[in-house]
Amino acid sequence: MAPEARGIAGATRYVASNGLVALIQRNPSAPTVSVRGEVRVGAVHETAAQNGLAVFTGAALIRGAGERTFQQIVAETEERGCSVNAAGGLHTSGFAGKALVEDLPLILAVLADMLARPAFPPHEVEKLRGQFLTSLRESEQETGTQAWRAARALLYPPEHPYSRLTSGAIETVQALTREDLVRFHQRYHPAATTVAIVGDVEPEAVIALLESSLGAWPPAGAPPTLDLPPAPPLEAILRRDVPMSGKIQSDIVWAVHGLRRTDPDYYPAMMANMILGRLGIGGRLGENVREEQGMAYYCYSNLDADVGAGPWSAVAGVNPANVERAIEALVHEVANFVEQGPLPQEVADARDYLTGSLVLSLETNDGIAAALLAIERFGLGIDFIERYPVIIGAITADQIVDVARRYLSTERYVLAVAGPPAG
Amino acid sequence: MSTPIHAHTLANGLLVLTREVHSAPVATSWIWYRVGSRNEPGGETGISHWVEHMLFKGTPSMPRGELDRLIARNGGVFNGFTWIDYTAYYETLPADRIELGLRIESDRMVNALFDPSEVESERTVIISELEGYANYPETWLDEAVKAMAFTVHPYHHPVIGYKSDLLAMTRDELYTYYHTFYTPNNAVLVLVGDFDTDTLLRQVEQYFGPLPRGPALPAVRAVEPEPQGERRVTIRRPGPAQYVQIAYLAPDCRSPDFAPLAVLDAVLSGARPLSFMGGGAQTNRSARIYKALVETELAAAAWSSYAPTRDPFLFELSATVREGRDAAAVEAALLTEIEKIQQGGVTPEELARVLKQVRAQIAYNNESVTDQALQIGMWEVLDSFGRVETLPEELAAVTPEDVRRVARTYLTERRRVVGHFIPTEEQEDGA
Repeated sequence: MAPEARGIAGATRYVASNGLVALIQRNPSAPTVSVRGEVRVGAVHETAAQNGLAVFTGAALIRGAGERTFQQIVAETEERGCSVNAAGGLHTSGFAGKALVEDLPLILAVLADMLARPAFPPHEVEKLRGQFLTSLRESEQETGTQAWRAARALLYPPEHPYSRLTSGAIETVQALTREDLVRFHQRYHPAATTVAIVGDVEPEAVIALLESSLGAWPPAGAPPTLDLPPAPPLEAILRRDVPMSGKIQSDIVWAVHGLRRTDPDYYPAMMANMILGRLGIGGRLGENVREEQGMAYYCYSNLDADVGAGPWSAVAGVNPANVERAIEALVHEVANFVEQGPLPQEVADARDYLTGSLVLSLETNDGIAAALLAIERFGLGIDFIERYPVIIGAITADQIVDVARRYLSTERYVLAVAGPPAG
Repeated sequence: MSTPIHAHTLANGLLVLTREVHSAPVATSWIWYRVGSRNEPGGETGISHWVEHMLFKGTPSMPRGELDRLIARNGGVFNGFTWIDYTAYYETLPADRIELGLRIESDRMVNALFDPSEVESERTVIISELEGYANYPETWLDEAVKAMAFTVHPYHHPVIGYKSDLLAMTRDELYTYYHTFYTPNNAVLVLVGDFDTDTLLRQVEQYFGPLPRGPALPAVRAVEPEPQGERRVTIRRPGPAQYVQIAYLAPDCRSPDFAPLAVLDAVLSGARPLSFMGGGAQTNRSARIYKALVETELAAAAWSSYAPTRDPFLFELSATVREGRDAAAVEAALLTEIEKIQQGGVTPEELARVLKQVRAQIAYNNESVTDQALQIGMWEVLDSFGRVETLPEELAAVTPEDVRRVARTYLTERRRVVGHFIPTEEQEDGA
């Protein structure tokens, strides 16, 4: 494990004159390079009326930038087996490139144009809108999407960006204009941008390339800030059922408010989540709903801890006849966990998995780049990977049960079910 | 750039393929069985996949749950999957723990319990998996197209099986099937990673050497006859969009025409990532189908597909019809792209681009030991592991005339099934 751990801690952190932060890691295992970056602007910066704007803007960056049209961008990169992409998300807008090392200058130049000089050609915006509307219609008829849309609306007040899906809705995406995209893009700022470059590269050479590409992106105005509105605590059990015809299976979402990635409760909560609904085939939830009762192919929990406190959720896909029994099982497992806490063996398993699997997550260029981006986003420190086993090793069963009691509740939660109509 | 693959056969017939890769302290262990839905008799559809599920349900020395716990405690990841031609299981672990993969796979090759109560609880889990797929309109269209494309060969039925067969399957049928196909002489063990081959082979011998060789396997006799005309199917169900799927009966991966058809697929849709677990480059947006269907705003998504298979399978064209357009126009546009190649052929520049894309995808794939082992094992069960190394040369030898010839030979009206999915009004629920 040592070479990779040292590898990350030895990454070069470079701040360009425009404020952009680059993290560069040499990984000579293959003649390839991955570029992964993020601008800290996302759907959290859009209004309810403009839901979908961050995603639309991110996807439009490639549709013409600098001197190149969309078809020129994809032709020039794809003919060399490279790819470039960008996508708006909830907290950040991401961009990525993949290339054989000799093509790194090309993908950095294209990505810099996409971020700094997107053209938003009107006909490309319309083309993209059509694709979005078709995929929105498809996702509107997915039980998982509908259950999550309902769960988020119950968890967060309408003024909170977490109350919506980043994909937007048909009406809002229909109403967005090219000018809306142009204005939203003006929030992108180099000083709010991190890029990780990992592969068979020399950091000094990469810095020189950055100076003429992403480092030359002129800053305009001030970097964006984020001020999330409060989410009032849940007071009761809130449930919404979404009947959907033509469906065979129902999706269930159970959720409470979680916590921020930087919250001191994060590590015990992450361990609690592993034990409750992830380890093996879905932790205790999977053991009950899938293994013992045979009700679901998937049943697991998820802790969405990011810049803000996202949902802490449990999901299952079950036959409509089993919906109430599956909910009962989910709530029963949560109650049991809150009451009794984890077994010593479960804590040991979670700890050994989290520390042991580190080397697996740092095998590929993409994996290393993702770790570097997370380190920068949450200010974890470049030696984070080295400290991680110590952090995880120090978490006790008492801390886990304490966190579980404060966040997981059997009296205040939301429940959303989407699937074939009852009866 | 890839290190060599070594082959070693144990006395009981188990083929062991190893590749040392020392770039990261990780290793992967894959076991492949030459069994998939193509081996299933009528009335037992879905049995290969169900057997795969039962291999996670315990052995006398490793009760259910213990396998997951052991792998987690050792910092590893694992999974299993079933396809038309093969069933595979893997564990990827920190390199110094790779012996655990050998222990697990040698144990469950012969000792899986198939406890009757576990069989019952898994019956409803698998039906839940099937019902989850049935929530998607594409599943209904795909199953109808494949059922129509194969009248004789078992590629006719879906890997998950028919619900009626899943409801009726017995524990004894599952257990017999397991004992028939899970034998060392019907398996391939693939090990890739940061290990010393000689040391690891001694451990392989220790774990797998004592397992008894199994009897000869029942052959798949069915041969899909030459189709005698276009077949069409329209699925009408509630759904969000229209979908089009066109499937041509096409040669298996051992045919000399495999490489030209693979190049044709890449000319139409780009050379795609080798691993289904992600990690490659997206190369379809400058290719013919995307430009002709998506850029012209006929479709929201469109692509071709052609995968290596044991027996003749399908060369397919698929599209999600854009709002305001219709399936007939999208079908016509897809067929026009095929006709263009049948008449005008492809350019040397297109072939050069495909080769460069393939070489890049191989390089990305080689970043991961798990993805390397997937390619080695898949090619061995379909033909020979050597294809992993020779494929770039096979593709490089393809000429524009070869591509035109295979397009004219195989992508013909009489060899195709054309499927449309047309949404109905919501109240017309046919479920």
